[in-house]
Amino acid sequence: MSDTITEKIVSAENPSLEAPSDWQPVIIGILCNWCSYAGSDLTGTSRLQYPPNIRIIRVPCSSRVDPWFIIKSLQTSADGVLISGCHPGDCHYIAGNYYARRRFLVTKELLKFVGYHENRVQFSWVSAAEGPKFAKVVDKVTEDIKKLGPLHKYRKEDLL
Amino acid sequence: MDYTKQIQEIASRLFAENKIDFFIGYKQNLFDTNQVPLLLTNANDIGQLVFNNKSNYNLTTYLKFEHTRNKRVGLVVKGCDSRALNLLLTEHQAKRENLYIVGICCEGIVDENGNKQQNCTECVMPNAMVYDELLGEKQPEKKYTPNADVKAWHDKSLTERGEYFENVFENCIRCNACRHSCPLCYCSKCCIDQETSTLYNGANTLPNATHALLTWSLHLAGRCVDCRNCERACPSHLPLHLLHKQNEMVIYENFQNHLSGMEKDEPGAFYKYNLKDPDDFIM
Repeated sequence: MSDTITEKIVSAENPSLEAPSDWQPVIIGILCNWCSYAGSDLTGTSRLQYPPNIRIIRVPCSSRVDPWFIIKSLQTSADGVLISGCHPGDCHYIAGNYYARRRFLVTKELLKFVGYHENRVQFSWVSAAEGPKFAKVVDKVTEDIKKLGPLHKYRKEDLL
Repeated sequence: MDYTKQIQEIASRLFAENKIDFFIGYKQNLFDTNQVPLLLTNANDIGQLVFNNKSNYNLTTYLKFEHTRNKRVGLVVKGCDSRALNLLLTEHQAKRENLYIVGICCEGIVDENGNKQQNCTECVMPNAMVYDELLGEKQPEKKYTPNADVKAWHDKSLTERGEYFENVFENCIRCNACRHSCPLCYCSKCCIDQETSTLYNGANTLPNATHALLTWSLHLAGRCVDCRNCERACPSHLPLHLLHKQNEMVIYENFQNHLSGMEKDEPGAFYKYNLKDPDDFIM
């Protein structure tokens, strides 16, 4: 992962917008309590490095994530959202992530349809034992969003 | 397609036999361009009931209001309305024994200019599925085809789509008429109405309108029956069907050809799951 930005970064949704030279993306990470949150904990206790751009929110289950959490995050401060839950079959509540999976697909497609880049919202399955995978996922998401540039779609910051 | 006489006969018979408290049908508006819903409580005004190819409103909306809940209601439903009714019965929002349903085999509804409505040209279920009495001859059922407008927008670039929808959402005046006219938006306290919510406030701004409309369409995804009450109610004439048809297309293609309300006791797409659902978009 490169720390310095050498080329000009423009917003993927609005090419006339250019990022300032010291721009760093803000990523909201919504993690399920039972797998991904424990996984991110393991990343920390194993002393693995991952980018500090992610702000983590803990939810009881990935199916707790209502689409409007994603929409609100993208509208207020975040440049990207990462949602992570248990692997299929591992859900603490038996089937929560199966329901969530359906919702995520439709949400992702709708956001793409109304003009958000598809990499703005990403999903992953991370179990409690996958510390290294969590670090890799955050690396990838941060790199993707650094390429996309700042997000100003559907925002009017002075009015919020 | 004119069933005015039959519907008037049925309504007067039901009132005479004291089988219903209310009858909900259509009435001509003042300018003869459109029809408005008519709620009858006795047999006096039965002469105002009409039904023809301008009866566009989805009357199952009126089952969600307090004065018709748990009352015996007579109701006129077309094919698309019966899909909504199927879902309402599945979600326990209406009791079948309280309803007397006049089903219509619909030949398509025309708009104010006399052209067939777009959703009627793509209609997958013209015949009422839930009924006590069926009027008209059964129409052939069509296969599902993705909406042409949605397809056209998919071919355009991300920036173009973004600019278009930003313009659409900017024109929203946050009157919530879409929500009130929707038969499936029946929550007594909507999530976007919470006074203490930090996620949302009612101010008429672009972020709020975007947030409300996208959330609303996602809460209806897998349940929307494409009756287009919302679009008819919208004072700003927003193309709300684009959001619903986009969701419907994704759901149909990915979740075993799911179409909402087509079968009895079938929940919406988000209330069930399949182990083989696609998850290649998840890392």
